[in-house]
Amino acid sequence: MLSSQDFLFYFLGALSLIFGLGVVLYRNPIYSALCLVITMISVAGIFATLDAWFIAGVQLIVYAGAVTVLFVMVLMLFDLKHEMKTFSKGVIGNGVKLASSGVLLGMFSTYIWATYATEPTFKPMAAGATSSIKATKDLATSLFTSYLFAFEVIGLLLLVIAVGAVTLSRITGGTHHHAD
Amino acid sequence: MGKDGLEITLNIVKMLVIFLVMVQLVPVLVWLERRVSAFMQNRFGPNRVGPLGLIQLLADAVKFLFKEPFFPEKGMAVMYYGAPIMALIPGALALAAIPLGTPFHLEEADWNLFGFIPLGHHPAYDFILQGYDFGVGIVIVLGVSSLGAYSLLMAGWGSSNKYSLLGALRASAQMVSYELALGLSLVGILMVFNTFSFYDIVAQQNPANPLTFNFLGTVHTMPWWIPNWGIFYNPLGALIFFCASFAETNRLPFDLPEAEGELVAGFHTEYGGFALLMFYIGEYGHMMVASALMATFYFGGYTIPYVSNEAVATFVSNTHHFLGAFDLSIHSNWAAFVTSLCFFVSMLVKILFFLLIFIWVRWTLPRFRYDQLMDLGWKTMLPWALFNTCLTAVWLAISHKPV
Repeated sequence: MLSSQDFLFYFLGALSLIFGLGVVLYRNPIYSALCLVITMISVAGIFATLDAWFIAGVQLIVYAGAVTVLFVMVLMLFDLKHEMKTFSKGVIGNGVKLASSGVLLGMFSTYIWATYATEPTFKPMAAGATSSIKATKDLATSLFTSYLFAFEVIGLLLLVIAVGAVTLSRITGGTHHHAD
Repeated sequence: MGKDGLEITLNIVKMLVIFLVMVQLVPVLVWLERRVSAFMQNRFGPNRVGPLGLIQLLADAVKFLFKEPFFPEKGMAVMYYGAPIMALIPGALALAAIPLGTPFHLEEADWNLFGFIPLGHHPAYDFILQGYDFGVGIVIVLGVSSLGAYSLLMAGWGSSNKYSLLGALRASAQMVSYELALGLSLVGILMVFNTFSFYDIVAQQNPANPLTFNFLGTVHTMPWWIPNWGIFYNPLGALIFFCASFAETNRLPFDLPEAEGELVAGFHTEYGGFALLMFYIGEYGHMMVASALMATFYFGGYTIPYVSNEAVATFVSNTHHFLGAFDLSIHSNWAAFVTSLCFFVSMLVKILFFLLIFIWVRWTLPRFRYDQLMDLGWKTMLPWALFNTCLTAVWLAISHKPV
């Protein structure tokens, strides 16, 4: 019989896969964004089943609560008919999309297969070995000591992205330029 | 979920009970809101149906249930019907994560329902007065309650109505903006208490200890009549949290999403009957969460002012013999249960007090203009919350409190 942990894992995994497919397959961008929300929430649930409560909470706050709200808001704010036409049509465009997603899928499955071949058994953490408080402290310590450089670089990357977004919003012309 | 069948059952029952408590408090709050607003505006308010107009709640509920269900012609069914349901979930889940009393210990026993239906033998069990305890309480509460924006967005988009859509867009922009100030204002008090766990936070506000400030190695003890509450450690954070929680709950003076004068009724223009009531339940649920957080972080949580937690336990175990008279074998269980109940009542009083303040403010202050609202959020509250964080960090560094 499935234990409650196993049940939660399979349930949340199936949920995130189904709604992850929904993100890609829905034509209506609003539905895609809402599917993305449910995917985020189920990923947070999977973190929670691994006793990583802090990461689960942060996943909810940052991704489900803030980032995707902004996605949905922006999608609602703009008239997307023009973008939907340019984005969804063309044999070559669809071929490129299929090819690139196939390459990505191949990379992922190769990686998973390779790691699974070398480490045949998954190593679950000993149950109850770490409290969520201690896990949070460990996370903070490693983030601000061992991985400080990577952490700061990623922060800088986000800043660059923000500057880039501002610059892009000021450009006139290009593929997404509206005739009006 | 739980380790075994009993725990899973208990957790499910607890979630249901907390959800029902949230729903059942709403009519009382609606009545309170109408009476208080009437009092403040020199009117009577609902006073005809039943004593003090209390049966008015029942009449309202019946009216809501029997209204015609309406669906807008070009609406999207999934989002239109999903939005009111989505409105209930974040409030209930967040409320379930907040402890409403001390956990009580159940001794190992053969458990009976009503004394004669056997439930089987169960080892000792710590019953917590909250839906679930993850240890990182506040992170989960903030995460879950941030999902509340989707209900408004779904309602606004699913209704296919310009007013609804504008209301929803305002709502989501407002919630995202004020979530930052809300989260940052809590960082200060979390640094003071040096923990995420609600139980640790409340335990550090135990009235047994006096309010002490550690400054440059000397300990300054405040007089006994100042309670050992978080608000005295971090007053600026408390103020910012209080203001931001009004914006998070979409209450006046921040109720731009449903500004009647501008947007008809905002995101719930197309809703009527019970679906509308569900939005109200969600809003009141958010208010309860904000009040409970306010009480937990800044006003001593479930502790009783001036009475130390140990004194409560001693008092109950000395005076509860009439309760234990039924069955002496569960004597200690009863004592623990009654102690928890005392703390629960204290917490409930605090929550109701803050809910009353919510209502009070709603009928006192006028609504902001939208640009004023955004300016307040981004240019005033966010910098002040950052300043509060830095100030607390510096204070903790010079006062030698372990960080």
